[in-house]
Amino acid sequence: MTSSAGVWGEFSAMHGWAIATAAVVAAGCALVGTLLVVRRMSLLGDAIGHAVLPGIVIAVLAGGRPGGLLVLVGAVAAALVTVLLVQVLRREGGLADDAGTGVAFTTLFALGVVLVTAAASRIDLDPGCILYGILELVPFDTVTIGGLEVPRAFLTGAIVLGLVTLGLAATWKAQLFTAFDTDAARAVGVPVGLVTAGLLAATALVTVASFEAVGAILVVAMLVVPAATAELLVRRLHTMAIVAMLVGVAAAALGYLAAWRFDTSAAGMIAVVLGLAYLLAALLAPEDGVIARLVSRMALAWRVTCEDTLALLWRADEAGAAAAALHAPGDWVAVAWLTARGRIARDAGRWSLTAIGRTEAETVVRSHRLWEAWLGRHADLPLDHLHPPAEWIEHHLGADLRRRIEADVGIEEGDPHGRTIPREP
Amino acid sequence: MTAFTGIPYNTLVVAAAVAVVGCAAGVVGCFGVLRRRALAGDAASHATLAGVVAAFLVTGRRDLPTLLLGAFVAAVASLGCLVAIRRFTRTRDDAATAIVLSVSFGIGIVLLSGLSARGIPGAGGLEQFLLGHTAALTVADAITLAIVSLAVVLVVCLGLKEATLVSFDPAFAAATGWPVLLIDYALVALVAAMVVVGLPAAGAVLVTALVVIPPVAARQWTDRVPTMLVLAGTLGCAAAVGGVAASALVPRLATGPTIVLVAALLFAVSFFVAPERGWFARRLRHER
Repeated sequence: MTSSAGVWGEFSAMHGWAIATAAVVAAGCALVGTLLVVRRMSLLGDAIGHAVLPGIVIAVLAGGRPGGLLVLVGAVAAALVTVLLVQVLRREGGLADDAGTGVAFTTLFALGVVLVTAAASRIDLDPGCILYGILELVPFDTVTIGGLEVPRAFLTGAIVLGLVTLGLAATWKAQLFTAFDTDAARAVGVPVGLVTAGLLAATALVTVASFEAVGAILVVAMLVVPAATAELLVRRLHTMAIVAMLVGVAAAALGYLAAWRFDTSAAGMIAVVLGLAYLLAALLAPEDGVIARLVSRMALAWRVTCEDTLALLWRADEAGAAAAALHAPGDWVAVAWLTARGRIARDAGRWSLTAIGRTEAETVVRSHRLWEAWLGRHADLPLDHLHPPAEWIEHHLGADLRRRIEADVGIEEGDPHGRTIPREP
Repeated sequence: MTAFTGIPYNTLVVAAAVAVVGCAAGVVGCFGVLRRRALAGDAASHATLAGVVAAFLVTGRRDLPTLLLGAFVAAVASLGCLVAIRRFTRTRDDAATAIVLSVSFGIGIVLLSGLSARGIPGAGGLEQFLLGHTAALTVADAITLAIVSLAVVLVVCLGLKEATLVSFDPAFAAATGWPVLLIDYALVALVAAMVVVGLPAAGAVLVTALVVIPPVAARQWTDRVPTMLVLAGTLGCAAAVGGVAASALVPRLATGPTIVLVAALLFAVSFFVAPERGWFARRLRHER
């Protein structure tokens, strides 16, 4: 415990810059990734992430500095070569896209690794840095702007984020149109090829800006995972982009802090935090989440059980049976619930519907019999085929639909089995 | 003991074993490629790193079979995640693959960096699984890898009819009563197994190339599955031998990337000169 205030200040400034760098590159990746994910081009992001490596290494060998303009150009060129290669393999060789992608990016990445290891003595890149970045060291490579020392990687990341945001904001409508209906967009004159090329260039830019911070493979996590998480949470594309950027930035900060706390790789931890965010969204998303769907399915099953119990009692009353046949053990839970809610009551050893329970039961039976009557008139089904569909749909018909069916078939004649159709309560 | 002048016995055995591994990976990878699942193996291969490090952490041992068993468990778990994402969420296949690939690799990197930061004895050398390092293989390890490869190829040969049927017409296979889903999962598990066996040679990042590039190259030459299997095996074997030889001759040349580059070279040749689908053949047909 020898830390003085000065050391601490320097210390936290370093962490602050590292987090800020991770945040700007994560935001840029998430923005571009949103379009990649909705256009089903996630794996192209993966391929570009791997394939920028040879471009970077060649640019560095040619005298560029990591994070400098030459390296940026080299990386974008390598990314475009990858995309072209996949297209050529498909068009000229009839290769499926996944096979072509698999061949192209493994080859380019292998080339990059071989170049790095072969030229390790001459250039300032090591294989580990390529694979998982060196976010921890980013604050030590600075440039001075207006008297302020700013990490080079932060500056590159911020400029790229600005460029990509401006570019995508200016072409957002065309991007959206192309993403959701490419053919229609082409038909009305949107330059689809140009729009796609712009997206790919943006992907290459954010990838290379992130490269130093998080490395070739974990940049894929920053591109795809925030967007896939946002897609589970919201519906509209621009909301999705904003949520994705927030998820990316939050994961960058949390991941960095967790890595510092547990003394491990920051880039790896950011990917892990992103994975957890996706898992949480998949489980907890309000509409599409696994839990939300489970709950709504169970709620429906429960409502069906309760309504069936009420309808059973109502039919027993109609038939004049002495006691309703409530044998099924599952029913007793529903019976207890319905009793507590005042829908049914036990009276001198037999179950009967209360006024409110009767109203609800009539609605269900009315739906059932109206549907049988409607099917009987319009669907030309034999009598014994009418019950099963009605048994299902009786829980789903609304008041409006019931009125319209009644107006169509009338309730005076009863249902096809000759039973009375109750009136709308 | 030296078989040829200057080449140690150890190097020869390892090279022979890696050749068998490359051959088997090429054969098994054919079904991944035919089934349009070329990149599922990529997700599995990136996950193996986490499996290797976790196996070391749990058992405290660092012999190859233990580490590779961990890698296999991780590979299968990652494929399970892919299936679960497809089944339970709206996320599409391409994004699911990218998620599983990058997050599982992140877990591996977190574990690996955490280990080396703590200076745990015996943890050094695990990072060789990133890019592959055949020089570190012992003779016993190499023979184990070769035997497992041969076993995997044997399973594929025994199930050749079923695998072919499911690869080309899953709907027909299902209609005639074959357990398509089971065969599908078995094929994916076999690809995962080959990814794991190839791990010491090519490393977690590039081992997927062993199960993708030779089959894709072989596909250029033929329309028949048995021919494709034999060709893919031969090309995989050639790539492995070429890569091991080159990395043994040139100092500081990592084995994994070199094998991949040799495979890519073989693919490029196939792409241009194959008789029916090759680029020149197509051009000639266009001229006429």
